[in-house]
Amino acid sequence: MQSLGAWLRRRAENVAAAMLAVMFAAFIIQIVFRYFFNFPTGWTTELTVIMWLWLVLWGSAFVLGEKEEIRFDLIYSAVRPRVRIGMAIVCALAIIGLYGASLPASYSYVTFMKVEKASYLKIRMDWLYSIYVIFLVAIIVRYLWLLSRLLRGEDPEAGTDPTKVSSGL
Amino acid sequence: MTLAFGLCLIAIVALSLLGLPIGHAMIAGSILYLFVKGIDPGTAAEQLLNGMYSSFLLLAIPLFILAAEFMNAGAIMDRLLRFCNALVGRFRGGLAHVNVVQSIIFAGMSGSALADAASSGKLMQSLMTRDGRYTPAFAAALTAVSSVIGPIIPPSIPMVLYALISDTSIGYLFLGGVIPGLLIGASQMGLIAITARRRNFPVEAKIPLRELPRITWEAFPALLMPVILFGLLYSGITTPTEAAAAAAAYALLASVLLYRSVGLRDIYNSLNTSARITISIGMLIAGAMVFNYVVTVENIPKSVAAILQAYQLSPFTFLLFANILLLVLGCFLEGTTILLVIVPVLLPTAIALGIDPVHFGVVCVVNIMIGLVTPPYGLLLFLMVKIGQVSLTELVREVLPFLWAMIIALALMTFVPEIVLWLPRVFGYKG
Repeated sequence: MQSLGAWLRRRAENVAAAMLAVMFAAFIIQIVFRYFFNFPTGWTTELTVIMWLWLVLWGSAFVLGEKEEIRFDLIYSAVRPRVRIGMAIVCALAIIGLYGASLPASYSYVTFMKVEKASYLKIRMDWLYSIYVIFLVAIIVRYLWLLSRLLRGEDPEAGTDPTKVSSGL
Repeated sequence: MTLAFGLCLIAIVALSLLGLPIGHAMIAGSILYLFVKGIDPGTAAEQLLNGMYSSFLLLAIPLFILAAEFMNAGAIMDRLLRFCNALVGRFRGGLAHVNVVQSIIFAGMSGSALADAASSGKLMQSLMTRDGRYTPAFAAALTAVSSVIGPIIPPSIPMVLYALISDTSIGYLFLGGVIPGLLIGASQMGLIAITARRRNFPVEAKIPLRELPRITWEAFPALLMPVILFGLLYSGITTPTEAAAAAAAYALLASVLLYRSVGLRDIYNSLNTSARITISIGMLIAGAMVFNYVVTVENIPKSVAAILQAYQLSPFTFLLFANILLLVLGCFLEGTTILLVIVPVLLPTAIALGIDPVHFGVVCVVNIMIGLVTPPYGLLLFLMVKIGQVSLTELVREVLPFLWAMIIALALMTFVPEIVLWLPRVFGYKG
C-alpha cells in the first residue's frame, strides 16, 4: 500500500515535470514561429495557460508533500504533539467540510462550461476545467486519510521543511 | 464590512494559525463566505479557474524559476564565486564582500531570494567558515540578507505578481528595481567594510591580474544572461513572458553546451524542482484569486481608501504608514500573501494620493523582501538556520545591523522616488 502510494506519487511528479516541459516548449515554438517565420501561433498561448492551470492544481492534489506547502507553522511546530494533533484535526475537518460542501456546486459549474470551447485548440472547457473537480476530490480524500491517522493518535510532526518550501520569493 | 466577511477573515486567520497551508486556508475561508452570504458556492471554482486561465502574465513565474534552475544545474555557482573572488576577495572581509557581489550578479538571473540562498548558501557557508574565518552565524546571516537583493534586481517574481495586481508594466517595474537593489548591496558592503575592521576579518589571497580574463571568460555565459534578458525585454522583441522563456532556453543551452556538465537527469531534476516551486506559489495565487473576489464584493479597497482619505493623509504620511504596516506584517505573514492580499487594498489609496504605481510597487517589494529576514516568521531565516546549522537567536543577532541598513535604504527610496524612477524614465517611462 505504502509502496504503491510512493510509486503513484513519483508518476504524478513525472506528469508535473512533463507539464512544465510542455509549457516551456510551447513558448519556444511560439517565439521561433513568430520571429523567425513571422507566423503567429495562437494555440501555443492557449496550451501554456492550460499547462499552468493543470500544473498548479494537479501538483497541489498529487505532488506536493505536507512539508512542502507554505504554511504559518510557528505555533504548529512549537506545541506538544497532543495539541498539534488537535490543531490538525480542526484543519482537516474544515477542509473536508467546506470543500465537500462546495463540491456539488463546483461540479455543476465545471459541467456547465461544456457550452464553451478553447478558441484555438477547440477543447471543450468542461474538460479543461475538470482538473478543479479532480483537485477538490483529491484534497478531500487526502484530508480524510490524514484525519484517520490523526484520530489514531499519529503525530503529524513539525510543519514545513525550510529547504523544501518556496513561495518563489 | 459584513458578518460574512468577518467570519471569512476569522476562518482564514484561524486556519492559518492552526497550520493549514495558506492557499487552502484562503480558499476554505472564501467558500465559507459564499455559503454565509448565500452566493452560489460554485463561484469559488469560477473565480479560481477563470483567474488562473486568464492570467497569462503569471506564466513568467515558472519560466524565471526554470531559468535559474537550469543555470544552477550548469554548476555556474563555482565559476561565479571565482569571478567575484577575483573582483572583491582582495579587500578586508573579502569573502563577505564576495557573498554580496555574488547575490547581486545572481539577482540578474534569478527572481527569487529563497532560490539564491538555497543555491549559494551551502557553498558560501563552507567557504566562509573554513579555518574559522567567519562565525557560522555571521556567514549564514550574510547569505540571508544578501539574498534579499535577488528579487529587487530584475528578474523578479514578486514584481510579476505586483504587475498583475496593479496593471503596471513589468518592464518599468524591473527597471525601477535596479538602483534600489544596487543601493541595498552597497549598504551591505559598506557595513561589511566597517565590521571587517572592527572584527579583523581576513583578506583572501590576491588573484593575479593576468588570470582575470580567464576567470571572467569562464563566468561569461552566466554574466551574459541578464544582458540577453534585458535586450529582449527592452527592445520590444518579445513579451515579458516570452523573454522569460528565452532566458530559460538560453540557460539550458549555456549549461548543456558551454559548461557541458548537464545530463538528461539534471534537466529532469531542474524541471521537477521548478514544477514544485511553481505549484507552491501557484496555490497561493489561486487562494488569493478566490479571496480577492470576496474582497471586491465587500468593496474593501474603496472603504479603506475612504477611511484613509478622511484622515487627509499626505503622500508622505501614507507612505510612512504603508511601510510600517508592511514591515510589521512582514514579521508575521508570508510575503506572497501580503503582496496578493494586503497590497491590493493599499493600492487605490496610493494612486488617489498621486503616488507613482511603479514607485509604490518597488517600495512594496523591498518591504516584503525585508520581511523574509525579520523574526519571528522569516522564510530566509528558517532556511539559513537549516543550511548554516546555527540557532535562530544567533542568526538574528547577526542579521540585525544589516536589517537596520536595509531599513535606511528603504526609507531613502521611499522618500526620494527618483532613486526608483530615474532609470525607468531614462527608458521612456512617463510617470
